[in-house]
Amino acid sequence: MTAVLIVALVTGAILFGIGVYGALSQTNLVMIMMGVELILAGALVNLVAFWRFLHPESYSGQMFVLVVMTVMAVEMAVGFGVAIARFRAKGSVEMEEAGDLKG
Amino acid sequence: MSAVLLPILPPLIAALAVLLLRRGGPGLALAGATLSLAGSLWLLVRVGGGQPETFLLPGLPEMPLRLVAGPLTALLTVAVATVGTFVLIHAVGYMKRESGLVRFYAIMSLFLAAMQALVLAGDWVLLLATWELIGMCSYLLIGFWFQRPEAADAAGRAFLYTRSADLGLYVAVFMLIGATGTSEIAPSLEAGGSTSTAAGLLLLLAAMGKSAQVPLQDWLMRAMAGPTPVSALLHSATLVAAGAILLIRSAPLLSPEALFFVGLVGGITTVAAGVIALAERDLKRLLAASTASQYGLMLIAVGAGVPLAALLHLLAHAAIKSALFLAAGDFQHARGGTGFDQLEGVGRARPWTFASFAVAALALAGIPPLSGFFSKDAVIAAALSAQGFAWLGPLALVGTLLTGAYMARSLRLLWRGPDETLAVAGGAWMRAGILGLVVPAAGLGLAFGSIEAILDLSMPDEGIGVVLLGLFAGLGGLLLGSLVSAQRLLGPIHQWAESGLSIAGGLAAWVGRPAMAVARGCERLEQGLYVTVLRTGHASLVVANLVRAGDERRINGLIFALVAGVQAMGARARTLQSGLIHHSLAISAVASAVTLVVLFLASLSF
Amino acid sequence: MYAQAFFVAIFGLAAIGFGVWVFRTSSMVRSALALLFSQTAVGCMFLAMQTEFLGVLQIMMMATEMSIMAIFMVMFMMDPGGLGGMDMTHQKRFSIGAGVIAGGVAIAVALLADWGPVTPQAPDAAMQTRELGMELLGRSMLIFETAGITILTAMIAATAVAIPVQTLANGGDKEDSE
Repeated sequence: MTAVLIVALVTGAILFGIGVYGALSQTNLVMIMMGVELILAGALVNLVAFWRFLHPESYSGQMFVLVVMTVMAVEMAVGFGVAIARFRAKGSVEMEEAGDLKG
Repeated sequence: MSAVLLPILPPLIAALAVLLLRRGGPGLALAGATLSLAGSLWLLVRVGGGQPETFLLPGLPEMPLRLVAGPLTALLTVAVATVGTFVLIHAVGYMKRESGLVRFYAIMSLFLAAMQALVLAGDWVLLLATWELIGMCSYLLIGFWFQRPEAADAAGRAFLYTRSADLGLYVAVFMLIGATGTSEIAPSLEAGGSTSTAAGLLLLLAAMGKSAQVPLQDWLMRAMAGPTPVSALLHSATLVAAGAILLIRSAPLLSPEALFFVGLVGGITTVAAGVIALAERDLKRLLAASTASQYGLMLIAVGAGVPLAALLHLLAHAAIKSALFLAAGDFQHARGGTGFDQLEGVGRARPWTFASFAVAALALAGIPPLSGFFSKDAVIAAALSAQGFAWLGPLALVGTLLTGAYMARSLRLLWRGPDETLAVAGGAWMRAGILGLVVPAAGLGLAFGSIEAILDLSMPDEGIGVVLLGLFAGLGGLLLGSLVSAQRLLGPIHQWAESGLSIAGGLAAWVGRPAMAVARGCERLEQGLYVTVLRTGHASLVVANLVRAGDERRINGLIFALVAGVQAMGARARTLQSGLIHHSLAISAVASAVTLVVLFLASLSF
Repeated sequence: MYAQAFFVAIFGLAAIGFGVWVFRTSSMVRSALALLFSQTAVGCMFLAMQTEFLGVLQIMMMATEMSIMAIFMVMFMMDPGGLGGMDMTHQKRFSIGAGVIAGGVAIAVALLADWGPVTPQAPDAAMQTRELGMELLGRSMLIFETAGITILTAMIAATAVAIPVQTLANGGDKEDSE
């Protein structure tokens, strides 16, 4: 039984790593958001694995999963709103050119 | 009003009056002097019977000022007043053509008052005060013509010599007051032991200063730069007498050791001053040296243990020497100077004055029946009857011989020469003064008997041998002086005597030059100190400025460096804010990693 | 047990594989679709771990989101087909390093930590859903409400940001920007 837990955790870790790579290396805003999605997915996997294998009696784990999913949705909504505004203002969502807030 | 104040007050009031009114100087001064004479005669009558009168003035706590009139002090007041009156009469004529008379008469009267107070002083404090007063009056009077450099110099010299010697008086007085607990003179003379010897020697020092004994005799001769009445009053009869009076009054105090030194000093002075007088080329200076020599004789008498002889000689000498000086004043006006080369033959031109001069000169030489004969006899008798007669006697005799010699010399020089003269103003006054003193000079010897009765003392019986010895010495001196010139008499030491028997430059070289050198050294030191202090001040100012500038620069620099540093850090920190999202993401990734590591490590320690 | 392990592994590999494909392909649409499949695989993992509700929820939500994302891709990407062949990445080495380190640390923790006793049995699906509902409306009511408010706020914000700037026709002396 522990093996399954380990497998799940490792999967979550790898997904997290890929997500970090993606969030840091992409130039496009939407691609960056995809990276963030992967990070959160990895977190979700870990959460579920922990709930199922270590504390199935306590449903706070599942609550946490619901919250993370909510966050994912909200973040995507606002992010795409911003992307639209940016596109309208500058004609592209490439983050390389987005140095307006340079201090 | 106590009779004791009678001799003192009139001249004092006269002095104040002359100063305030600034006119009528001669009249007021004469009035003061005559009243003082009357008062002192009255005092003598009162206390002649032997009952002393005392008058107390408030002084220091437990040390009131005392005026004591006993037979001895009353006698001295009469002497002072007599000489003072006749000298002032003479001065009216002498100073007729002078200016600054207010100053002259005021200070002469003040001096008279101070001298009377000194003679009547019954306690040491008053004695000290009046001693100083007469010193001050002497300074003011010697320097009467202060515009003349030699007069100012002489006044300063006189003051310095006597002041230095006065130190002895001060220390002696402190010693006596400390030893006996009272400042009254009479009881304090009973102090014994080492105090009396030390005090006696110190009193001798003070007397040496005031009475111009060797080695302090030079001031008296230089003091002749003042007006002749001053020389007559101060520097023959009264001020220089103060030293002898001090020794006569404190004779009970003197121990045999002190007496030895008194006699020694007196003996040396008699001979040395006599030799100087013999070689002198100025009449007044000759008379001054003679004064020093006569006071040497008085000190010999005190040293022989017979203060009465000293007193008798003092009284006789006062009249004689004042008469001689007043006559010299007349000669001075007749020829316009006092050098022997100027005065040659003036005797012929002014016969009456010369006659008075001759009478007084013979009296000084000791020719009977003049007063000097009796007083000289007393001194020689005392010297020969003393313990140290072996050396005191010869010294006294040599002194007598020299007296005759230089008096005869002066007579010879004054007679031989052309008899021209200048017009003398005030001649009548001067003659009156001279005559007034010549009479006691000639006749005082007859009064010695009554004086001895008043004082209740008597001279020891002297044999006829002593009388003859004294007479031969005097006559021998007169002969030598009138026949042999001074150069041949003195022979090899004539040059030396002319320069005042100064040893290796005299006091000027022994005391004056070292003192000036020390003074110069001190001035250099002070300059050096001053410069050093200034330089230190400058240096500290410079340092202060440097520190301030450095501080400003440092503090400013520090602050600006701080500001620049913060700005630079800000500039570098700003590079983080590129505005690019991926940079921000990268920074947040790194920051989260760091936070996690820190938390992990923190959890490990618990 | 073995079946569970097998399926979890298979779906895990699928998620990882599709995740890698997201960033390797240069076509935007394919990236979106790859992400969709990756998330779906994660949802299947949930199902394999006997959390049916969460798994279904995941699959449903992600499918919708990824589809919308694909539409956005097409709208805003300059090269949605990925035919240009440009390398659209920056700070590559740093990000690779960061990813490797992050993943590595997580794997290390997973392997090295002592997780304690593993519960073999899980409650069945109906029970889970019921319990989750009780949890949601009982103890975690505040979280529920907050999440609801947050979603509302997000909807309004997204709409507001996305509304284009409106300028009046007469001269432009009034500008309404939202």
